[in-house]
Amino acid sequence: MSSFLLLAAEGLEPFTGEPSALVRSSWIIVVLPLLSAAVIAAFGRLMPMKGAEVGIGTLAVMWVMALGVGWETFTNPVYFYENSLAWAPLGGGITLELGMLVDGLTGMMLVLVTTVSLMVHVYSREYMHGEERFTYFYAMLSLFTFSMLVLVLANNTLQGVVGWELVGLCSYLLIGFYWQEKSNADAANKAFLTTKFADVGLIVGVIILSSGVGSLGGEFAETPFNLTLTNQAAVAGALPEFAIVAGMLFIFLGCVAKSGQMPLHVWLPDAMAGPTPVSALIHAATMVTAGIFLIARLYPVLAQSLTVMNIVAVVGVITLFLGGLVALVQDDIKKVLAYSTVSQLGYMMAALGVGSYTAGVFHLFTHGFFKALLFLGSGSLIHAVHSNNMSDMGGLRKYMPHTFWTFVVGSLALAGFPLTAGFFSKDEVLVGAGIWSDNGLVMGDVVFWVGLAGALVTTFYMARAIFLIFFGEHRGAHHDEHGHDGHDGDDAHAPEPTTVVDEQGVERPVPAGGAGGGGDHHGDPHESGRQILVPLVALALLSFPVGFSGGFLWTNVGGSEAMNFETWTATEVIDHAQYPFLADYEPWGEVVDGEFVKPASDDHGGDGATGEGEEASAAPLASGVNAAPLAAAAEDGGVSNHVLHGAPTFHLEVFVPALLAFIIGVGGAFAIYGRGRPERDPTLHMGGFTTLLERKYYLDDIGYAAVVVPVRDHLARWTSDSSNDGRYAIDKLVAGVGTLTKRLSLSTYRTLDQKVIDGGVNGAALSAAWWSERLKRIQSGDVQRYAGALVAGTVVLVLVIAANA
Amino acid sequence: MSPLAPLALSTFLFCTGLYGVMARRNSVLVLMSVELMLNAVNINLVAFQGLFYPGDINVSGQVLALFVIAVAAAEVGVGLAIVLNMFRNRASVNVDDVDLMRW
Repeated sequence: MSSFLLLAAEGLEPFTGEPSALVRSSWIIVVLPLLSAAVIAAFGRLMPMKGAEVGIGTLAVMWVMALGVGWETFTNPVYFYENSLAWAPLGGGITLELGMLVDGLTGMMLVLVTTVSLMVHVYSREYMHGEERFTYFYAMLSLFTFSMLVLVLANNTLQGVVGWELVGLCSYLLIGFYWQEKSNADAANKAFLTTKFADVGLIVGVIILSSGVGSLGGEFAETPFNLTLTNQAAVAGALPEFAIVAGMLFIFLGCVAKSGQMPLHVWLPDAMAGPTPVSALIHAATMVTAGIFLIARLYPVLAQSLTVMNIVAVVGVITLFLGGLVALVQDDIKKVLAYSTVSQLGYMMAALGVGSYTAGVFHLFTHGFFKALLFLGSGSLIHAVHSNNMSDMGGLRKYMPHTFWTFVVGSLALAGFPLTAGFFSKDEVLVGAGIWSDNGLVMGDVVFWVGLAGALVTTFYMARAIFLIFFGEHRGAHHDEHGHDGHDGDDAHAPEPTTVVDEQGVERPVPAGGAGGGGDHHGDPHESGRQILVPLVALALLSFPVGFSGGFLWTNVGGSEAMNFETWTATEVIDHAQYPFLADYEPWGEVVDGEFVKPASDDHGGDGATGEGEEASAAPLASGVNAAPLAAAAEDGGVSNHVLHGAPTFHLEVFVPALLAFIIGVGGAFAIYGRGRPERDPTLHMGGFTTLLERKYYLDDIGYAAVVVPVRDHLARWTSDSSNDGRYAIDKLVAGVGTLTKRLSLSTYRTLDQKVIDGGVNGAALSAAWWSERLKRIQSGDVQRYAGALVAGTVVLVLVIAANA
Repeated sequence: MSPLAPLALSTFLFCTGLYGVMARRNSVLVLMSVELMLNAVNINLVAFQGLFYPGDINVSGQVLALFVIAVAAAEVGVGLAIVLNMFRNRASVNVDDVDLMRW
């Protein structure tokens, strides 16, 4: 596959101007939702819209600000602004920072998070209408937005971990929003425990990586968690091998769980127990991409080790393909979308693993929009049909035309139909894989071909969903009284592993079989209201321009080389990062006395560059480090050790197979489902393979047997026994301490309290009584006796005065 | 003139009055003894004025004695009223019989 000739990349000019006041105050974007969450929680119930107006209003302000920041970072390639306060000294000369890092990647995430969050806030007003804990829901949405932005704007890994854990908490609280049903509470627990398990890895990884950075001394030792310094140390080739490999692998473990990579994705489908807007915001567009975002943030470190990159790529490839296959057999529309999310996250991870930094991040960006659109669309359907199951839908095109076409737009974007967002990003992933393969790395071929197959699977399950939902006859008979997804009976299967052992889904409800009944008088499903439709339409319209930002303006059809998604998300370190395991590797900059020094030849670079005999300046690559080698490499057959591949171009050899995959997928789905006979769904009649998919590769069962049973039935019981029976150490200790305390207090009571204190008080009273009994006789009532005393006193006084005179 | 004679007279009067106050049971007599003691003081005031401050044009001692006489007259009025009330309530003027204000 040597056809992926490299593209002539301009050496990117780093941003040297002054950041605008907006960017300098972008911390306000982070703080606003926290305030709004507090206000909603405190006063929301008293407000006319029960707190929704505060959430939506705040989000609107943030959205405008985020767009401003995004625009500034977009129009100024290689943007960089960092500002931090010393938060707390950690000891050992290490300072913990509280700071913000605004560059293209941050700007991109800001735009994504605030846009989707705004849409979800608007949407939820109608969707959650009448919920008992409506106000709580809005407070949690705002809190989540805050947490996500803490992570996005973090300038150091520890602050990132704080945001990371906060989003995990919000995710837990919102998955368990309908906690009254045990299965939903179990799903929340499962999500929390699974991600928390991996977060231990994340923290270990952060510590290992920072210890590697700290070993460089100087400013590196002062703030070893700083992301900029970490990446600079990495591109200079100064980081110890161990810190790179072990640190990134542990961090990757955290990302595997958070971003739903196999085999720790098991929580994500169950997380659909939460309300649908939550699924759209947290479990499709933003939180689950946190892992991708973190890997992208640390991409220069990742790029230092082929081993780690291969592991990332392998996990991503497995996830993208196997996750997509499970989506084929799901009946629950939200589960289809959940597995689709797993699969798409696999794309992003695989892209990062094969050197396609831009493509991976780009796919993150576009996917956030169209997957949020699909989830919100599914919410609109569920709102109308009162069921999550596609077997209860069918023929909805007539009833819900707006939901229909927005859903189709989202599906086309997901399937990569030409000119939609997913088309550009997915093709760019494949192009990136192709370049990796040109560099002679086999993972490039694997990602390319599996990615192509995954695109086919994606198209197929989305086409299946559309045919089942919108075409054929309406099969809905099945009305829940409560209506919302969280109350849906089908969710009862997945969360609790015990029920996974049941005959889950193998016996599907026969579509027209009238389970439930009683729905006839409920009337036909009806289109959702404006507050649901506006976000749908907005996101559907956005599904095009977000793709154009990265791909449409291909250089070979007249696109912009100076301003595209690549220049947007590029940072200076990314721009100069190279892969040490490829030919012609040249570290950029060096670490001298704990200071990062940019190469002298880099004319737009540092004033602090010392230029002590840099070979780079002598080499013929004088015009910016990355321009010349790219061009040179392009001439002699396409080897690039640079991360950035230059402005995107049109690749016919990717376009054609991707389009073929799309056509085959849609055609196949039409042939099978187009005639509206879903009961003859062939994906359910593949024997052992179907069972394998329906059991989700037995991962839930394995997790249940290997983790839940030992912990719950053995470890927990043993711990409980050892403390409850009074036979073992803990109870003995507690009882002993109790007895001792009792004795001590009893003796204190008898001696100190009864004798000393009480005796003192009683003695004082008794002596007063004794004396008064005797002294009262002086007051005899005999006036003449008083006169005698008066005279005696006078005499004594006279004598005393006379004696002293 | 020697101060001895008026001092001796006033001492005698005062001691007589003191004895009466301390020893008599009849409250009228007690009041009269009080008058004796006051008059002993008056004698002292007048005598000391004449003996030691003969040039005092204000004659302070004699004026003060006049005040004492006036106050003593008022005091006797109040005292006799008390004695009268005592007699009405108790049918006695014996000071030993009025010991209500005791423990």
